Amino acid sequence: MADMPTDFWAGWIAVITVVSLAGLGWLIFSIYFSAESADEHGDGPVWDETLREGSNPAPLWWFWMILALLVISVVYLMLYPGLGSYSGALRWSQGGRFDANVAAYETEFGGIRELVAGAQLETLRGNPALMKSAQSIFARQCAVCHGYEAEGQANLFPNLMDAHWQWGGEPGQVEQSIRAGRTGIMVGWSAVLGDAGVEQMTQYVKTLAAQPDTAPPLQYTQFCSACHGPDGAGNPVLGAPSLVSGVYLYGGSDAAIKHTIALGRTGEMPGFENRLDDTQIKLLVALLTGNGTE
Amino acid sequence: MNGLGLHQRLERNAGLLIFGILFVSAIGGLVQVLPSIFQESLSQPAANTRPYGALELVGRDIYIREGCGTCHSQQVRPLLAEVKRYGPYSRAGESVYDRPFLWGSKRTGPDLHRIGGRYTDTWHRVHLLDPRSVVNNSIMPAYPWLAERAANADGDIQLRLKVLRRLGHPYTDADIESAPAKLEGLTEIDAVIAYLQQLGAGLGAEQ
Repeated sequence: MADMPTDFWAGWIAVITVVSLAGLGWLIFSIYFSAESADEHGDGPVWDETLREGSNPAPLWWFWMILALLVISVVYLMLYPGLGSYSGALRWSQGGRFDANVAAYETEFGGIRELVAGAQLETLRGNPALMKSAQSIFARQCAVCHGYEAEGQANLFPNLMDAHWQWGGEPGQVEQSIRAGRTGIMVGWSAVLGDAGVEQMTQYVKTLAAQPDTAPPLQYTQFCSACHGPDGAGNPVLGAPSLVSGVYLYGGSDAAIKHTIALGRTGEMPGFENRLDDTQIKLLVALLTGNGTE
Repeated sequence: MNGLGLHQRLERNAGLLIFGILFVSAIGGLVQVLPSIFQESLSQPAANTRPYGALELVGRDIYIREGCGTCHSQQVRPLLAEVKRYGPYSRAGESVYDRPFLWGSKRTGPDLHRIGGRYTDTWHRVHLLDPRSVVNNSIMPAYPWLAERAANADGDIQLRLKVLRRLGHPYTDADIESAPAKLEGLTEIDAVIAYLQQLGAGLGAEQ
């Protein structure tokens, strides 16, 4: 073991282990090959005239079994860590095995990593094996929120298959979303707009999707256009979604839109920079940008 | 004296026999357990490990109460496939404030030791209340009552912290004093989410 508290404890373990093994060896040898007659009854009590307590050892195959286990123990302690701070002839350790596995993994996939790093997204998309990997990464890392088909879920997590990107669909923007995450905040407007204002704005937002060139009410220009744009086209820099696309992350019903306007919404995507490496991120970008824009 | 003689002597002296049994039974503990009590990597917190806050502690107790450990382990083993899937493998020092530890050995659901920060609070809330709404083939039960009970429903958070302090967790008087206030207005689901979000503490487990 690598971190024995002190040499004393290392010695403690080694001494007790060796003495125990030696003691067990002595015990079985002296029981099975004793000078005394094994069946000597000594001067113990007698019951029912002839019934006495004997001292026959257990059958002989027990001796061989215990001896074999003793030999295995000794060989094990010579090869593997166990005897105090002695690390064994094979120098095996759990951490060492893990490091060796990681190194083998890096060697095995080093070539593919370089290939991915140097390739155009278009080329990656044309490689079925790599896209299959990308789908596996997506299934493990992304699907729990965005859905296994990347179709979006629960009116909380956006669809990544359509052409609509709240934070921008360019490869660089998608990569940024994956690496650093995104936090989209819309504050609630009920205090500013009042019930009637919320109702009016809900109707206007719905109209916008059907007839994008409807003239905006004054309140839209005052309060909403700073983020969503004068024409409702949205602003990917702020994560302000387009209001003309007809795509509503939190639901497109009157009630859902009203809720969004009145109480606001907070959408958060965690950053995956620490959980994914560059190769995985690039494969995901290739997978996702290939879907939505074509 | 040989083995037979020893056997006969032990057999006829009850006191000696009791001592002999205790001595032989103790050998394993003397070798395996006693030295590990003095082993720093087992008794000192890892760099990413701190005592649970009041809310996290309540969440942990709910995690135990609801039997989450029946299906979820909290132990990433040092195997390449596990580390690739979950994150850095678990260290002993990350469990020093776990009484009892919740490593587990049964994975009906995924391991949770590196779950912290992977999903958002919103995701956890939706998922705990209705797992199928985000993972459509999930077999995890829903826990809707977590959103209904107050985090401090039992009202004994200060007592829990005091007990842990007696066991050596470094809570200050101020921590204990302010604990009920930290649970004010929150429900059990907030506590469970707070507990889950600190598990694995941002992967900072490298030592």
